[in-house]
Amino acid sequence: MVTRKSVSAGHTGIHGKLGRVAPNDAQPEPALPQFEHISRYWDSEHSTFTARLLPGEYYVTRHPEMISTVLGSCVSACIRDSRLGYGGMNHFMLPLDGSLGQSVWGSANSAATRYGNVAMERLINDILKLGGRRENLEIKLVGGGRVLAEMTTDIGARNIDFVRAYVAAEGFKVLGEDLGDIFPRKVVYFPQTGRIRVRKLVSGRDESLAARERQYLQQLDAKPVENEVELF
Amino acid sequence: MTRTIMTVDDSTSMRQMVKATLQSAGYGVVEAADGQEALDYARENSVDLVISDVNMPRMDGITLVHELRALSTYRLTPLLLLTTESSQEKKMEGKRAGATGWIVKPFNPTQLLATLQKLL
Repeated sequence: MVTRKSVSAGHTGIHGKLGRVAPNDAQPEPALPQFEHISRYWDSEHSTFTARLLPGEYYVTRHPEMISTVLGSCVSACIRDSRLGYGGMNHFMLPLDGSLGQSVWGSANSAATRYGNVAMERLINDILKLGGRRENLEIKLVGGGRVLAEMTTDIGARNIDFVRAYVAAEGFKVLGEDLGDIFPRKVVYFPQTGRIRVRKLVSGRDESLAARERQYLQQLDAKPVENEVELF
Repeated sequence: MTRTIMTVDDSTSMRQMVKATLQSAGYGVVEAADGQEALDYARENSVDLVISDVNMPRMDGITLVHELRALSTYRLTPLLLLTTESSQEKKMEGKRAGATGWIVKPFNPTQLLATLQKLL
Protein backbone atom coordinates (compact mmCIF):
# COMPACT_ATOMS: atom_id res chain seq x y z
CA MET A 1 0.00 0.00 0.00
CA VAL A 2 1.34 3.38 -0.96
CA THR A 3 1.13 5.95 1.76
CA ARG A 4 2.14 9.32 0.62
CA LYS A 5 2.39 12.55 2.51
CA SER A 6 1.25 15.58 0.57
CA VAL A 7 3.39 15.88 -2.55
CA SER A 8 3.26 19.58 -2.92
CA ALA A 9 4.16 21.92 -0.12
CA GLY A 10 0.96 23.30 1.33
CA HIS A 11 -2.04 21.09 0.97
CA THR A 12 -4.81 22.76 -0.99
CA GLY A 13 -7.75 21.01 0.64
CA ILE A 14 -9.60 17.93 -0.45
CA HIS A 15 -11.52 19.51 -3.30
CA GLY A 16 -8.57 21.34 -4.81
CA LYS A 17 -7.71 18.70 -7.35
CA LEU A 18 -11.17 17.72 -8.44
CA GLY A 19 -11.77 19.07 -11.91
CA ARG A 20 -15.51 18.63 -12.31
CA VAL A 21 -15.80 18.37 -16.08
CA ALA A 22 -14.54 15.38 -18.04
CA PRO A 23 -12.87 15.87 -21.43
CA ASN A 24 -15.36 15.81 -24.32
CA ASP A 25 -18.16 15.88 -21.76
CA ALA A 26 -17.66 12.18 -21.12
CA GLN A 27 -20.18 10.68 -18.71
CA PRO A 28 -19.46 8.08 -16.05
CA GLU A 29 -20.61 4.50 -16.65
CA PRO A 30 -24.06 4.02 -15.13
CA ALA A 31 -23.92 3.26 -11.41
CA LEU A 32 -25.62 0.18 -10.02
CA PRO A 33 -29.22 1.16 -9.11
CA GLN A 34 -28.56 1.14 -5.36
CA PHE A 35 -25.77 3.71 -5.79
CA GLU A 36 -27.48 6.28 -7.97
CA HIS A 37 -27.45 8.75 -5.07
CA ILE A 38 -23.64 8.68 -4.71
CA SER A 39 -21.88 11.77 -6.09
CA ARG A 40 -19.47 11.09 -8.91
CA TYR A 41 -17.09 13.57 -10.48
CA TRP A 42 -14.35 13.68 -13.03
CA ASP A 43 -10.99 13.67 -11.23
CA SER A 44 -8.43 15.30 -13.47
CA GLU A 45 -5.46 14.25 -11.33
CA HIS A 46 -6.18 10.57 -11.96
CA SER A 47 -8.06 11.05 -15.25
CA THR A 48 -10.99 9.00 -14.13
CA PHE A 49 -14.43 9.35 -12.65
CA THR A 50 -14.54 9.07 -8.91
CA ALA A 51 -17.36 8.22 -6.55
CA ARG A 52 -16.94 10.37 -3.47
CA LEU A 53 -18.16 8.82 -0.24
CA LEU A 54 -19.50 10.63 2.80
CA PRO A 55 -19.67 9.02 6.27
CA GLY A 56 -22.15 6.16 6.29
CA GLU A 57 -22.06 5.63 2.52
CA TYR A 58 -20.61 2.80 0.44
CA TYR A 59 -20.13 2.15 -3.26
CA VAL A 60 -19.48 -0.87 -5.45
CA THR A 61 -18.54 -0.85 -9.14
CA ARG A 62 -17.68 -3.11 -12.05
CA HIS A 63 -16.10 -0.28 -14.00
CA PRO A 64 -12.55 1.05 -14.02
CA GLU A 65 -13.44 4.06 -11.91
CA MET A 66 -12.07 5.36 -8.64
CA ILE A 67 -13.66 5.66 -5.21
CA SER A 68 -12.47 8.36 -2.87
CA THR A 69 -13.17 9.60 0.61
CA VAL A 70 -11.67 11.55 3.48
CA LEU A 71 -11.42 9.72 6.78
CA GLY A 72 -10.89 11.07 10.24
CA SER A 73 -11.71 8.57 12.96
CA CYS A 74 -13.94 6.62 10.57
CA VAL A 75 -12.62 3.54 8.82
CA SER A 76 -12.97 2.32 5.25
CA ALA A 77 -12.68 -1.22 4.03
CA CYS A 78 -11.61 -1.42 0.40
CA ILE A 79 -12.71 -4.80 -0.91
CA ARG A 80 -12.49 -6.41 -4.34
CA ASP A 81 -12.82 -9.75 -5.99
CA SER A 82 -9.31 -10.15 -7.33
CA ARG A 83 -10.38 -12.38 -10.23
CA LEU A 84 -13.20 -10.20 -11.50
CA GLY A 85 -11.76 -6.80 -10.66
CA TYR A 86 -15.09 -5.73 -9.16
CA GLY A 87 -15.13 -4.09 -5.80
CA GLY A 88 -15.92 -1.18 -3.59
CA MET A 89 -15.41 0.79 -0.44
CA ASN A 90 -17.40 1.70 2.64
CA HIS A 91 -16.95 4.54 5.13
CA PHE A 92 -18.31 4.09 8.60
CA MET A 93 -17.83 4.32 12.34
CA LEU A 94 -19.45 2.46 15.19
CA PRO A 95 -22.14 4.22 17.19
CA LEU A 96 -21.35 4.79 20.85
CA ASP A 97 -23.22 2.08 22.65
CA GLY A 98 -26.27 3.31 24.47
CA SER A 99 -28.65 1.30 26.58
CA LEU A 100 -28.56 -1.51 24.04
CA GLY A 101 -24.89 -1.94 24.66
CA GLN A 102 -22.39 -4.14 26.28
CA SER A 103 -23.87 -4.35 29.74
CA VAL A 104 -26.71 -6.53 28.53
CA TRP A 105 -25.38 -8.49 25.62
CA GLY A 106 -21.62 -8.62 25.96
CA SER A 107 -19.25 -6.91 23.59
CA ALA A 108 -19.42 -9.68 20.98
CA ASN A 109 -23.01 -8.75 20.49
CA SER A 110 -23.26 -5.04 21.27
CA ALA A 111 -25.37 -2.64 19.23
CA ALA A 112 -22.15 -1.09 17.91
CA THR A 113 -20.83 -4.42 16.70
CA ARG A 114 -24.09 -5.30 15.04
CA TYR A 115 -24.05 -1.97 13.25
CA GLY A 116 -20.45 -2.43 12.08
CA ASN A 117 -21.24 -5.91 10.82
CA VAL A 118 -23.96 -4.57 8.61
CA ALA A 119 -21.68 -1.85 7.21
CA MET A 120 -19.23 -4.58 6.19
CA GLU A 121 -21.83 -7.05 5.01
CA ARG A 122 -23.66 -4.62 2.71
CA LEU A 123 -20.42 -3.93 0.87
CA ILE A 124 -19.42 -7.59 0.69
CA ASN A 125 -22.90 -8.75 -0.39
CA ASP A 126 -23.02 -6.28 -3.25
CA ILE A 127 -19.68 -7.60 -4.54
CA LEU A 128 -20.89 -11.19 -4.19
CA LYS A 129 -24.09 -10.32 -6.06
CA LEU A 130 -21.96 -9.27 -9.03
CA GLY A 131 -20.48 -12.76 -9.09
CA GLY A 132 -17.67 -12.24 -6.57
CA ARG A 133 -16.62 -15.09 -4.32
CA ARG A 134 -15.67 -14.83 -0.67
CA GLU A 135 -12.43 -16.75 -1.19
CA ASN A 136 -11.31 -14.27 -3.86
CA LEU A 137 -11.92 -11.15 -1.81
CA GLU A 138 -8.92 -9.03 -0.97
CA ILE A 139 -9.19 -6.32 1.59
CA LYS A 140 -7.35 -3.16 2.52
CA LEU A 141 -8.20 -1.24 5.64
CA VAL A 142 -7.71 2.49 6.16
CA GLY A 143 -8.51 5.18 8.72
CA GLY A 144 -9.30 5.28 12.40
CA GLY A 145 -7.16 8.29 13.21
CA ARG A 146 -7.47 9.95 16.57
CA VAL A 147 -9.06 12.99 15.03
CA LEU A 148 -11.87 13.80 17.43
CA ALA A 149 -9.40 14.78 20.09
CA GLU A 150 -11.94 16.11 22.56
CA MET A 151 -13.72 12.76 22.92
CA THR A 152 -12.83 10.73 25.98
CA THR A 153 -13.21 7.50 24.03
CA ASP A 154 -10.70 6.99 21.23
CA ILE A 155 -13.32 6.58 18.53
CA GLY A 156 -10.71 5.77 15.90
CA ALA A 157 -9.21 2.95 17.97
CA ARG A 158 -12.67 1.46 18.54
CA ASN A 159 -13.33 1.43 14.82
CA ILE A 160 -9.96 -0.18 14.15
CA ASP A 161 -10.51 -2.88 16.79
CA PHE A 162 -13.86 -3.69 15.27
CA VAL A 163 -12.77 -3.89 11.66
CA ARG A 164 -9.71 -6.02 12.45
CA ALA A 165 -11.78 -8.42 14.54
CA TYR A 166 -14.37 -8.62 11.79
CA VAL A 167 -12.00 -9.54 8.98
CA ALA A 168 -10.21 -12.03 11.25
CA ALA A 169 -13.49 -13.75 12.20
CA GLU A 170 -14.49 -13.94 8.54
CA GLY A 171 -11.12 -15.34 7.55
CA PHE A 172 -10.45 -12.66 4.93
CA LYS A 173 -7.05 -11.86 3.50
CA VAL A 174 -5.95 -8.36 4.47
CA LEU A 175 -3.45 -7.20 1.88
CA GLY A 176 -2.64 -3.92 3.50
CA GLU A 177 -3.66 -1.50 6.17
CA ASP A 178 -3.00 2.08 7.10
CA LEU A 179 -4.74 2.59 10.42
CA GLY A 180 -4.51 4.75 13.51
CA ASP A 181 -2.23 7.72 14.13
CA ILE A 182 -3.63 11.22 14.61
CA PHE A 183 -4.09 12.38 11.03
CA PRO A 184 -7.08 12.48 8.73
CA ARG A 185 -6.55 10.66 5.46
CA LYS A 186 -7.57 11.17 1.88
CA VAL A 187 -8.03 7.75 0.30
CA VAL A 188 -8.41 6.87 -3.35
CA TYR A 189 -9.09 3.28 -4.39
CA PHE A 190 -9.23 1.56 -7.77
CA PRO A 191 -11.31 -1.62 -7.39
CA GLN A 192 -10.35 -2.88 -10.82
CA THR A 193 -6.65 -3.13 -9.94
CA GLY A 194 -6.76 -2.96 -6.15
CA ARG A 195 -4.43 0.02 -6.14
CA ILE A 196 -4.92 2.36 -3.23
CA ARG A 197 -3.34 5.68 -2.39
CA VAL A 198 -3.52 7.17 1.05
CA ARG A 199 -2.46 10.71 1.71
CA LYS A 200 -2.18 11.82 5.29
CA LEU A 201 -3.49 15.31 5.72
CA VAL A 202 -0.71 16.59 7.92
CA SER A 203 -1.31 20.27 7.44
CA GLY A 204 -3.26 20.63 10.67
CA ARG A 205 -6.64 19.51 11.86
CA ASP A 206 -9.45 19.72 9.40
CA GLU A 207 -12.30 21.30 11.36
CA SER A 208 -15.00 20.66 8.78
CA LEU A 209 -14.05 16.99 8.69
CA ALA A 210 -14.20 16.73 12.48
CA ALA A 211 -17.56 18.53 12.46
CA ARG A 212 -18.91 16.13 9.83
CA GLU A 213 -17.82 13.12 11.85
CA ARG A 214 -19.28 14.52 15.04
CA GLN A 215 -22.58 15.04 13.26
CA TYR A 216 -22.49 11.49 11.87
CA LEU A 217 -21.83 10.10 15.33
CA GLN A 218 -24.74 12.10 16.76
CA GLN A 219 -27.04 10.80 14.04
CA LEU A 220 -26.01 7.24 14.77
CA ASP A 221 -26.73 7.64 18.43
CA ALA A 222 -29.97 9.55 17.97
CA LYS A 223 -31.77 7.12 15.75
CA PRO A 224 -31.96 3.46 16.63
CA VAL A 225 -29.81 1.40 14.27
CA GLU A 226 -32.03 -1.62 14.63
CA ASN A 227 -34.93 -2.76 12.58
CA GLU A 228 -38.36 -4.20 13.21
CA VAL A 229 -39.33 -7.81 12.88
CA GLU A 230 -42.03 -8.20 10.24
CA LEU A 231 -44.18 -11.29 10.55
CA PHE A 232 -46.08 -12.29 7.42
CA MET B 1 -37.07 -29.28 26.79
CA THR B 2 -34.43 -27.18 25.08
CA ARG B 3 -35.59 -25.74 21.80
CA THR B 4 -33.08 -25.85 18.98
CA ILE B 5 -32.70 -23.03 16.49
CA MET B 6 -30.63 -23.17 13.33
CA THR B 7 -28.76 -20.02 12.29
CA VAL B 8 -27.82 -19.94 8.60
CA ASP B 9 -25.41 -17.27 7.37
CA ASP B 10 -22.25 -17.21 5.27
CA SER B 11 -20.80 -14.60 7.63
CA THR B 12 -19.14 -16.16 10.67
CA SER B 13 -19.51 -12.97 12.71
CA MET B 14 -23.22 -12.77 12.00
CA ARG B 15 -23.69 -16.40 13.09
CA GLN B 16 -21.73 -15.63 16.25
CA MET B 17 -23.96 -12.69 17.09
CA VAL B 18 -27.17 -14.59 16.49
CA LYS B 19 -25.82 -17.54 18.46
CA ALA B 20 -24.84 -15.35 21.43
CA THR B 21 -28.33 -13.85 21.49
CA LEU B 22 -30.06 -17.24 21.31
CA GLN B 23 -27.82 -18.89 23.88
CA SER B 24 -28.37 -16.02 26.31
CA ALA B 25 -32.04 -17.06 26.29
CA GLY B 26 -31.26 -20.75 26.74
CA TYR B 27 -31.87 -21.98 23.21
CA GLY B 28 -29.79 -24.70 21.63
CA VAL B 29 -28.09 -23.51 18.44
CA VAL B 30 -26.88 -25.23 15.31
CA GLU B 31 -25.04 -23.33 12.59
CA ALA B 32 -24.91 -23.64 8.83
CA ALA B 33 -22.81 -21.53 6.45
CA ASP B 34 -25.20 -21.62 3.50
CA GLY B 35 -28.60 -22.85 2.39
CA GLN B 36 -27.34 -26.18 1.09
CA GLU B 37 -25.60 -27.04 4.37
CA ALA B 38 -28.76 -26.05 6.25
CA LEU B 39 -30.97 -28.17 4.02
CA ASP B 40 -28.66 -31.20 4.32
CA TYR B 41 -28.79 -30.86 8.11
CA ALA B 42 -32.55 -30.36 8.17
CA ARG B 43 -33.18 -33.50 6.11
CA GLU B 44 -31.53 -35.62 8.81
CA ASN B 45 -32.40 -33.67 11.96
CA SER B 46 -35.25 -31.64 13.28
CA VAL B 47 -34.92 -28.08 14.51
CA ASP B 48 -37.65 -25.95 16.07
CA LEU B 49 -36.99 -22.75 14.15
CA VAL B 50 -34.67 -21.46 11.42
CA ILE B 51 -33.15 -17.98 11.14
CA SER B 52 -31.55 -17.61 7.73
CA ASP B 53 -29.67 -14.98 5.76
CA VAL B 54 -30.85 -14.37 2.18
CA ASN B 55 -27.71 -13.82 0.09
CA MET B 56 -25.45 -16.84 0.43
CA PRO B 57 -23.31 -18.96 -1.88
CA ARG B 58 -24.50 -22.39 -3.10
CA MET B 59 -28.09 -21.89 -1.93
CA ASP B 60 -29.72 -18.60 -0.95
CA GLY B 61 -32.14 -18.20 1.94
CA ILE B 62 -35.28 -17.88 -0.15
CA THR B 63 -34.55 -21.15 -1.96
CA LEU B 64 -33.82 -22.72 1.42
CA VAL B 65 -37.25 -21.68 2.73
CA HIS B 66 -38.85 -23.09 -0.41
CA GLU B 67 -36.98 -26.41 -0.07
CA LEU B 68 -37.72 -26.71 3.65
CA ARG B 69 -41.44 -26.12 3.09
CA ALA B 70 -41.41 -29.04 0.67
CA LEU B 71 -40.29 -31.36 3.50
CA SER B 72 -43.21 -32.71 5.49
CA THR B 73 -41.30 -32.23 8.77
CA TYR B 74 -40.77 -28.49 8.11
CA ARG B 75 -44.21 -27.58 6.82
CA LEU B 76 -45.10 -25.73 10.02
CA THR B 77 -41.66 -24.80 11.35
CA PRO B 78 -41.19 -21.03 11.78
CA LEU B 79 -38.65 -19.84 9.20
CA LEU B 80 -37.31 -16.29 9.61
CA LEU B 81 -35.19 -14.46 7.07
CA LEU B 82 -32.56 -12.11 8.56
CA THR B 83 -30.98 -10.00 5.88
CA THR B 84 -29.51 -6.68 4.74
CA GLU B 85 -32.18 -6.66 2.00
CA SER B 86 -35.04 -4.30 2.72
CA SER B 87 -36.79 -4.11 -0.66
CA GLN B 88 -40.49 -4.91 -0.73
CA GLU B 89 -39.92 -7.07 -3.77
CA LYS B 90 -37.45 -9.37 -1.98
CA LYS B 91 -39.70 -9.52 1.05
CA MET B 92 -42.62 -10.65 -1.08
CA GLU B 93 -40.42 -13.28 -2.67
CA GLY B 94 -39.64 -14.55 0.82
CA LYS B 95 -43.26 -14.52 1.79
CA ARG B 96 -44.28 -16.45 -1.33
CA ALA B 97 -41.59 -19.05 -0.64
CA GLY B 98 -43.22 -19.64 2.73
CA ALA B 99 -41.13 -17.61 5.17
CA THR B 100 -42.74 -16.78 8.51
CA GLY B 101 -41.14 -13.36 8.86
CA TRP B 102 -38.50 -10.90 7.68
CA ILE B 103 -35.91 -9.06 9.75
CA VAL B 104 -33.64 -6.39 8.31
CA LYS B 105 -30.13 -6.33 9.80
CA PRO B 106 -28.97 -5.07 12.22
CA PHE B 107 -31.37 -6.96 14.42
CA ASN B 108 -32.51 -5.95 17.88
CA PRO B 109 -31.78 -8.88 20.25
CA THR B 110 -34.62 -8.09 22.65
CA GLN B 111 -37.10 -7.95 19.83
CA LEU B 112 -35.74 -11.05 18.17
CA LEU B 113 -36.12 -13.03 21.40
CA ALA B 114 -39.65 -11.69 21.92
CA THR B 115 -40.52 -12.82 18.40
CA LEU B 116 -39.09 -16.28 19.01
CA GLN B 117 -41.13 -16.61 22.17
CA LYS B 118 -44.24 -15.80 20.22
CA LEU B 119 -43.43 -18.33 17.52
CA LEU B 120 -42.27 -21.25 19.64
